[in-house]
Amino acid sequence: MKKVLLVLSMFALATFAAFATGSQEPKAAGPVSLSMWTQESENENSYQYVQSLIAGYTKDHPTVTIHLLQKSTDGLRQDFLTASLAGQAPDFLWTVNDHAGPFTAAGVIQPVDKLFDLSKYVKSALDAVKLDGQEWGVPISNGNQLMLLYNKTLVPTPPQNTDELIKMGQQLTKGGVYGLVFNQVEPFWLVPWLGGFGGKVFADDGKTPTLNTPQMVSTLQFLLDLKYKYQIIPKESDYAAMDSLFKTGKAAMIINGDWSLGEYKKLMGDNLGVANIPKVSATGIWPAPYTSGKFFMLSKDLAGDKLAVVKDFINWATDKDNQLNMVKELTRLPALKVALDDPLITSDPILKGSADQMKVGTPMPTVVQMRAVWDAMKPEMNALLANSETPAAAAAKMQQAAVTGIQNMH
Amino acid sequence: MHSLTADIVLRSLGQVGSTVLAILAGVIVLEAGIYLIFGKLLKHRHTLPIMLLAPAAIGLLALIVYPIIYEIVLSFSNMSLFTFRNPKFGFIYAERNFGDVFTQPVLKLVHFLPVFLRTVLWTTIQVTFHVTLGMILALLLNRPMKLRGLYRTLLIVPWAIPQVVAVLAWRGEFQFEYGFLNIVLRDIGLHGIEWKSSPLWNFVAINITNIWLGVPFMMVILLGGLQSIDRTYYEAAEMDGAGPWRRFRDVTLPLINPVLTPAVILGVIWTTNNFNVPYFINEYNLESSEILVTALFRAAFDYSRFGFAAAFAIVIFLILLVFAIIYIRFSGLESVMGKSVQKPVPAGIGRTAAARRSKGPRGEVRA
Repeated sequence: MKKVLLVLSMFALATFAAFATGSQEPKAAGPVSLSMWTQESENENSYQYVQSLIAGYTKDHPTVTIHLLQKSTDGLRQDFLTASLAGQAPDFLWTVNDHAGPFTAAGVIQPVDKLFDLSKYVKSALDAVKLDGQEWGVPISNGNQLMLLYNKTLVPTPPQNTDELIKMGQQLTKGGVYGLVFNQVEPFWLVPWLGGFGGKVFADDGKTPTLNTPQMVSTLQFLLDLKYKYQIIPKESDYAAMDSLFKTGKAAMIINGDWSLGEYKKLMGDNLGVANIPKVSATGIWPAPYTSGKFFMLSKDLAGDKLAVVKDFINWATDKDNQLNMVKELTRLPALKVALDDPLITSDPILKGSADQMKVGTPMPTVVQMRAVWDAMKPEMNALLANSETPAAAAAKMQQAAVTGIQNMH
Repeated sequence: MHSLTADIVLRSLGQVGSTVLAILAGVIVLEAGIYLIFGKLLKHRHTLPIMLLAPAAIGLLALIVYPIIYEIVLSFSNMSLFTFRNPKFGFIYAERNFGDVFTQPVLKLVHFLPVFLRTVLWTTIQVTFHVTLGMILALLLNRPMKLRGLYRTLLIVPWAIPQVVAVLAWRGEFQFEYGFLNIVLRDIGLHGIEWKSSPLWNFVAINITNIWLGVPFMMVILLGGLQSIDRTYYEAAEMDGAGPWRRFRDVTLPLINPVLTPAVILGVIWTTNNFNVPYFINEYNLESSEILVTALFRAAFDYSRFGFAAAFAIVIFLILLVFAIIYIRFSGLESVMGKSVQKPVPAGIGRTAAARRSKGPRGEVRA
């Protein structure tokens, strides 16, 4: 018995020794292994695009391996914070700009203005990740804005203002087809209309929420009417529902973002039309969707060899050829200035429509208080559209929730 | 999508295998160490029991005891989004955290008391339905009949499916346009229900899903309990003229109490702590569908209020602990387990039956 135990202990110690030395092997300019997280989804073909970028880079640089992990947008934010706390954060991210707010507040990413030549990127994209005078992400694409997309077989000419939208919608909503669909769950779809009624989520200091305003009440009333008075939108519709309805031809018009253009174009070809979200007839203002984009963000602990490789990869991934390739694959506007002026964009009606909408958009605030505003608007927007709250009550509750949320952050 | 090639299988095994080997090596070293020190050096009496318990004890310490202690320490801190890397610790923060649990909104608008009352309502509805439906099914299955094994198997299927998978499947069926519930409602002429955006119907949806999930467990437990009741009690009761309801109330219920009481306690604790069902079915984050544990999760990971959430978790734990203690005392479980002299003699049974049977000091039946 004793002999057996001794032999087993020797074996165990030997295994330990092997592991210990194995992990301390000095790495000569040798293999670099990086990990990247992204919130790009398979549905829009964008996750496959990221994979192909990585494959292209590692083909030319065989000593580099990049492990890509996909997460939902909220999941990426939560998990990156938790992973950073545990010291196990991925090396870099490909994500949306409003993640910069919480990540800089928690101190888990590093600024990029000293690491890259940022003058070659579009200013509005850089503004979306500028906090405290520094830029915290490298832009990949520009836009991320909501637009009015329509099925040309059902809607030959798009509505120019909301009165036309309502009239067209009422004519089209019959036999299981809806005139208009949009994501009734996420406040991202509420914001353009707020802009159209002349409202803003933050006061001029960019940090104090202004959600309980007459403009917000008008916006909420407008959305409520779309559903219950004019009845041109479905009773319940989240992202997946609106996407399927539009793709199966059961929705004539949809308000969706530039990330969905690639898929819709593939499915509908020339029958896809792109237009500005219709002007609000009551005020004469174009609705102002939030514009931002997708960005590379670097984990705070990224340094040395790994940082050098990541810089090289990012510079390569945002060079002119790759940017134009991205425009072709994903139908998104590039963040590189020289790519934006390319005839590839100016001559394509869909891209031109997208660029036109972006012109009347407004940069999405990236301050960490924006998180509290999103969290405040979402439940009240849902309650309003479920007809269990009046617009005035919803606006008041939104403001209260946002103020509480911001207080609780400290 | 890549297909499952040998290369992928080997790579996965390699990633997992090294950890498994490391754990195996660690256990061997631990056992050898205990044997040599306690056995050979100290010649301790209980070397073997210590050797057998050591791996489990270390596992429990690392995975349960340490996180709980960390959580208690965290509740004494101000850790949140801005104080992520350098939280400060102290009694003042504990005061603030525990005070905030009861006075400030735990999420954006909702306070502790409504969420607590909703959790009580949720638990009451669930346990009532689980026990009632479970008992009915157990009574039905306790008779000899054809295909009994088949029915039992089919009824256990909800319990066998991984809970998250089942909940997500149910969530899909609550979808307004394409879910089967609304399709059936429309076919019989009613309107579809907004399962996900209406506060009331979302709560109903959560309850429906958990009833479907929870009844099999209760049914199996109660069936086991029913089968352990001696037939002669029923025969004696019938001889004394008791009808089916009397037999149920006076024979079945008291004799199934040692099985039913722990099952109910477990049911209450698991239902109160049930995270998957309320979290996933509440797809649109309605604050009106939150129970204590889902509100805790959101406070911690959506709003990054780690110190506050730790205090919240301790409050929930204390509530459940108090409940468990009170329930065990109140239900007389201790007496059934033989702690006191009182024996639960089934009331109304004739003296002949009672004279023929006698119970030993530990409650076992003696012929």
